[in-house]
Amino acid sequence: MDRTLVDFVKVLRTAEIKVSPAETLDAMECMDLVGYENREFLKNSLALVLAKNPEEKEAFDDCFERFFVMDKPAQAGNTSSDEDASGGEDEFDDGDFNAEGESQQSGKGGGQGGGQGGGEQEIDDSVPALQPTSELGKLLTNGTRTEQTISMMEAGRKVEVSKIVVFTQKGLFTRKIMDAMGLKGLQDEISDLQAQGGPGERNLAGRLKKSRDLLRERVRDYVEKQFFLHADETGKQLREELLKKVKLSSLEKRNFKDVQEVVFKMAKKLISVHSKRRKTYKRGQLDVRKTLRNNMQYDGMFFDLKWKASKVDRPKVMCICDVSGSVSNYSRFLLMFLYSLAEVLPKVRSFAFSSDLGEVTKLFEHSKLEEAMARTMRDYGNGSTDYGRMLQDFKNHVMDDVDNKTTIIILGDARNNYGDSKSEIVKEMYDKAKRVIWLNPEPKSSWTVGDAEMKKYAPCCHQTEVCNSLVHLERVVSNLLKSVA
Amino acid sequence: MTLKNEKKLANVDIIQEGLEQLDYIGNQQIATAVFLAYHLEKPILIEGPPGVGKTELAKTVAEMLNLECIRLQCYEGLDESKAIYEWKYGKQLLYTQVLKETLGEILDGAKGLTESVSKLHEFGDIFFSEEFLEPRPLLKALKKEEGCVLLIDEIDKSDHEFESLLLEMLSDYQLSIPEIGTIKANEKRKPLVFLTSNNTREISDALKRRCLHLYIPFPDANLERQIVQARVPQIAENLRNQMVTFIQELRDMDLKKVPAISETIDWARTLILLHTESLDADLVRQTLNVILKFQEDIETVEAELQSVTNKALKENQ
Repeated sequence: MDRTLVDFVKVLRTAEIKVSPAETLDAMECMDLVGYENREFLKNSLALVLAKNPEEKEAFDDCFERFFVMDKPAQAGNTSSDEDASGGEDEFDDGDFNAEGESQQSGKGGGQGGGQGGGEQEIDDSVPALQPTSELGKLLTNGTRTEQTISMMEAGRKVEVSKIVVFTQKGLFTRKIMDAMGLKGLQDEISDLQAQGGPGERNLAGRLKKSRDLLRERVRDYVEKQFFLHADETGKQLREELLKKVKLSSLEKRNFKDVQEVVFKMAKKLISVHSKRRKTYKRGQLDVRKTLRNNMQYDGMFFDLKWKASKVDRPKVMCICDVSGSVSNYSRFLLMFLYSLAEVLPKVRSFAFSSDLGEVTKLFEHSKLEEAMARTMRDYGNGSTDYGRMLQDFKNHVMDDVDNKTTIIILGDARNNYGDSKSEIVKEMYDKAKRVIWLNPEPKSSWTVGDAEMKKYAPCCHQTEVCNSLVHLERVVSNLLKSVA
Repeated sequence: MTLKNEKKLANVDIIQEGLEQLDYIGNQQIATAVFLAYHLEKPILIEGPPGVGKTELAKTVAEMLNLECIRLQCYEGLDESKAIYEWKYGKQLLYTQVLKETLGEILDGAKGLTESVSKLHEFGDIFFSEEFLEPRPLLKALKKEEGCVLLIDEIDKSDHEFESLLLEMLSDYQLSIPEIGTIKANEKRKPLVFLTSNNTREISDALKRRCLHLYIPFPDANLERQIVQARVPQIAENLRNQMVTFIQELRDMDLKKVPAISETIDWARTLILLHTESLDADLVRQTLNVILKFQEDIETVEAELQSVTNKALKENQ
């Protein structure tokens, strides 16, 4: 059972439930205590030990239902086989999962499963039954359903069916499991029997063939289930990895939902990394008690003062995004990222422009991302890009709010349509703000080609970065959070 | 672990019954959590929206087992001197005074500094000893010989540092005091620990890993009826059903703070005070401030008051 539990934990992990080895041990202890008799009880108990937030609980329920589902039919098969054992000696029930009704019939028919035709049954009555000799053949004719299932699952483990990744592998794994169960021996036996040609042999060959085909069906079913259990999520992970690296401009609309998920996940990671960073405040009320305690070791001389307040230092971020056609996609994801970080970045002000600059902070705070983005595009998205105008607007309206704690992020390709670049305003930002970061979605080699003004802007920035995929974005934002601590 | 009332924790059904007798109506998961917490010796971290009975669970379990419930309310800035222990400075000062006076006797006949110091060492020092220790909730819980229920309330309100401070306590049921050493709980009667969180911030993985995690959601209509029945038995069945339906409707609406069970119970008491027999729109409007705590919410609900009330009446005719 330990093995099963470990497999289950693996499934949980692919479903993005974080389970540590210590929790696995807890789960084992818990299973010892709870036992396997009461399914609901077991589920409740494992949920308490393994899933640690509401989302995980939901995923856990799902996984539990899917993972432990095969136990039920196996048990049903087991009881029915036990009943049958008294009915006939060489019988087996090869029906599908509702085997009960059919197996009664098989008891009467002298050993045939319900799936088989009446004609063969007559032959069966007249000829003394032959026993198969190959391992698999014996299992199929004499073994109970549970034994067959166990053998199948063991074979599955041997060929590591849990490593299945894409659906095209289903056939391969079905084949591998059949082989591992001893298909070759069975095949040889069948052809031997057919070659011998007696009615008894032919009959046995026919039966073996039938049960072989049924077994194949079952194995296929089993592989299918395993695929959904293991590969569905692995496939998702693969896709997510891919999405992180792909150029944002080439993303299509249908991917947006996935990307959003990825962004949230990345944001969550950053939050958990950075939210703990605290800075001891050097002013405020003296914490007399703490100071006394701390200075006892120095004989009560107060030279290590403790203050009551401790403060989390959070960056003030201003984000200026180019939302003209070519760059809008990048802006979308940058904004998405920044607003997902609300917990550690509470003071984000965002501006959008293609020529005129407008503040969209409120829009993003109050409405859904998609809607906010659509409205931003509508209001600011048209017209040719004019960086000079944007900078002038920024100087007129916002520059006063920039202080030495502000980080300014500008996202744009710096293609100014040969207008006045006004790089002196960027210089002013550089002097006033803590940091000016310019993110450019274009590769560095084209930063100076054509109407691009990067050459003029770059010296006035603390940092210039190529930024065209989620991985880049994540790095930039992470650096941003680090630099303020 | 063996507590004096161990048989009350023998299996899940008995626990559920025991809780029900004390008017705590819960689902099977809750009882399972208490069962496992006791047998696996693990703390329970209870999460859920405010007012679903997280704190109440701990108190009820304490009552059921006839144990003392030691409560530690968390808040920002809570530190070890408030949670674990503190030295009794005043007494320590007195002690040094007394020591000063007897110093002559101790050092009597000593020659030279080395000898005096070694004599001083021979003299048992109790400056840092348990006599001068003021135990705070966590330490108190460990020192309870007969076991106890320790309730660490609203852990999410405390700082990250405090969470780390708890880890030793939660995994090994022990606390280290640098001057004295490690204090362990009675091996046989470890405290039953409940932590509650309103999820205002994510609890660290390290803490979560050490706990069983119980999520208590809002109850469904059926369970809520039972709860109201248990808590406010005077209320007529008809009215009870109506108000539960009404509250359940509210939970589906877009509110800043949806009414929790505690609000349902308050409302039930209010309605009894007003000698109500059946809900009607006017009455609901007047008592809306019992279940809704934001003016915005009240305004939102008032707009649809009539239809929701009618629905509640219709469903429970």
